[in-house]
Amino acid sequence: MKLAELKLETQGHIACAHLQGDIDMSNAVELRAELNSMTPNEALGLILDLREVHYLDSAGIHLIHHLREDLHASGQKLALVIPEGSPINHTLRLAGIDWREETVETVDAARRAVQLSEPA
Amino acid sequence: MPTRRNGLSGLTESARPDSRGAATNGYQPGVRESEHLRPVAKRQLGVGQVALELNESVRAPADQVRDLVRLSDPALSELEFERLLDELLVRVRDLLGVDTAAILLLDEERQQLVARAAKGIEEEVEQGVRIPIGRGFAGRIASQRVAIFIADVDQADIMNPILREKGIRSLLGIPLIVEGQLIGVLHIGSLRPRRFDLRDLAVLELAAARAAPAIERGRLLDELEREHRNAVILQRSLLPRRLRTVAGVTVAARYLPARDEVGGDWYDMIELPGGEIGIAIGDVVGHGLAAATLMGQLRTALRAFTLDGNGPGRTLELLDRFAVMLDEEAMATAAYALVDSDNRTVRFASAGHLPPICLSTDGQARAVEVAVAPPIGAFGYKVCPEHELRLDVGETMLLYTDGLIERPRVPLPHSIEELVAAVAGARTPEDACLTAMDRLVPPRGPRDDVAVIAVRNDPVPAVLELELPGSSAMLAPLRRTLARWLGEQDLDGEVASEITIAVTEAAANAVEHAYGPSRGKFKVHAENTDGGIEVRVSDQGRWRSPRGQNRGRGLRIIKAAMTSLDVRTDHDGTEIIMRRKLERA
Repeated sequence: MKLAELKLETQGHIACAHLQGDIDMSNAVELRAELNSMTPNEALGLILDLREVHYLDSAGIHLIHHLREDLHASGQKLALVIPEGSPINHTLRLAGIDWREETVETVDAARRAVQLSEPA
Repeated sequence: MPTRRNGLSGLTESARPDSRGAATNGYQPGVRESEHLRPVAKRQLGVGQVALELNESVRAPADQVRDLVRLSDPALSELEFERLLDELLVRVRDLLGVDTAAILLLDEERQQLVARAAKGIEEEVEQGVRIPIGRGFAGRIASQRVAIFIADVDQADIMNPILREKGIRSLLGIPLIVEGQLIGVLHIGSLRPRRFDLRDLAVLELAAARAAPAIERGRLLDELEREHRNAVILQRSLLPRRLRTVAGVTVAARYLPARDEVGGDWYDMIELPGGEIGIAIGDVVGHGLAAATLMGQLRTALRAFTLDGNGPGRTLELLDRFAVMLDEEAMATAAYALVDSDNRTVRFASAGHLPPICLSTDGQARAVEVAVAPPIGAFGYKVCPEHELRLDVGETMLLYTDGLIERPRVPLPHSIEELVAAVAGARTPEDACLTAMDRLVPPRGPRDDVAVIAVRNDPVPAVLELELPGSSAMLAPLRRTLARWLGEQDLDGEVASEITIAVTEAAANAVEHAYGPSRGKFKVHAENTDGGIEVRVSDQGRWRSPRGQNRGRGLRIIKAAMTSLDVRTDHDGTEIIMRRKLERA
């Protein structure tokens, strides 16, 4: 059993990464590399589905933080799917992280959010 | 000197005396003559002269006779092979008053002579000189099975440059023959021109006749020993050096090579990223280096398949395919158990392996019979059924190979019952392994390899004490163990998860910052005190102030999750003490 499983699907120009399991110092770097390679230049943005992530530590927060900055630099958008009551939301609160702007409850909502960012 | 008059100096390349000339005179009974060469020897030397000279050699001075007797000294057979050869050469050199002596042994496969021992020309051995059969001085002695005398090395066809470089002027060499089979060549050399005579030849032949069987016996033993040794070394290097202490379970294991020949037994313990513990055992059919090598390949492959997230059944199915691809003849039995101490379950699969033994908390033991797949590699691709077994807190599961229980003429079910009876009452996995080995392995050592591994689902202790390697891979197992311990502390779920997050951050700090590339260990101590939950994470590394946002976030998380945080640091290391007050009902 891997600590975390990563599944990717692409619809239109939106990449969606479904993460499942734990993200900590032992796999964060590897996951970051995988996620980067999954977001080609022509993609509008990336949806990070964290509904099935049961554990996230500061290394995981660090990973998302950098992913966010990388995408921002290339004019792409990041949408995080983190339901309100999820365990990682708790961690984010403890860490004093506020990603409310890019956080939504469902993958569909995330898709809409990324599409809206498309320049007309 | 009369002997010089009858010297062999004329017999160099074209005329070679029969190496077993002495045999016809009663020195080497039972050794066949080489008929077509013997007339040459007779013509050159004259039968009468041979007899005369040999008689003279029999009447050699008392010390020479004594030296000859020393060559078949029974004490020689006690020596290690290399020392035996060395000792023989020393004795031959003394006996004949020569400067050099060397033994080359036949490498049958390559049809070469290999320098194995030398006195006065040690370079021969050091440089691993190899002479093709039929070529050069030694090569011709071997191919023609005759003695060859070279009066002047400069004039002769010599392959090995070392002989010339060392300034050897004259050489005499004879084949080493055991029961009609050539096993090598023995040659002596002189730094001054010397006409080796028939007496020298006779003495050398006598020496060779006495030494050859000892050499052959020694060589065979050496080969066997070498293979056994190599196989044991390989076997040992492939087995886990030591079993890591893993939270939630206690594991003990034993491996013992067979008394005569090493086999292909293995055991393994694999910590999976999700925190489950994989316990593997297997037995490759066959013995020696080949079995040990295949064992290593199967052990590695099993690890790879399970790390890729496959359950025990699928892991063994893949292992089966892997084995068939590797070697059509490969065959092994194996069992693989995936222990989930939190859920108190074991996912188990077996490919033709013996049933596991389960030990309950009250000391009762029983063999757990489950449906097994055929052995690995035996009958092509197969489906390997997977079973879910229960392993309650305090219970132990023991896996073993047949070397532990198989006895001649004892039916297998009976042997298994003997093992069950032996381990019943064992209090710990270590105790179970110890008792099993002690009761079932004969004092002279096992006839077949023995591997045993036992795993216990540990009860949750009142105070949690962990020592873990300073690796980020330890964080997930730590979380699981801590969660299990916290689960027993009657806490609110959210509080427990906050403590877990804080402790993981402190541990990540120990892993990331406290150590250099040479990973140390860190300790975690957790207890439920009057004031609440107290957790200490300590390491022997030097504290470094948080670097960058990442670690800063970690500290922030700890502070937010716990009621108090205290960092103590001195030259012994760093200790992070965290407390979380509890709202007691």
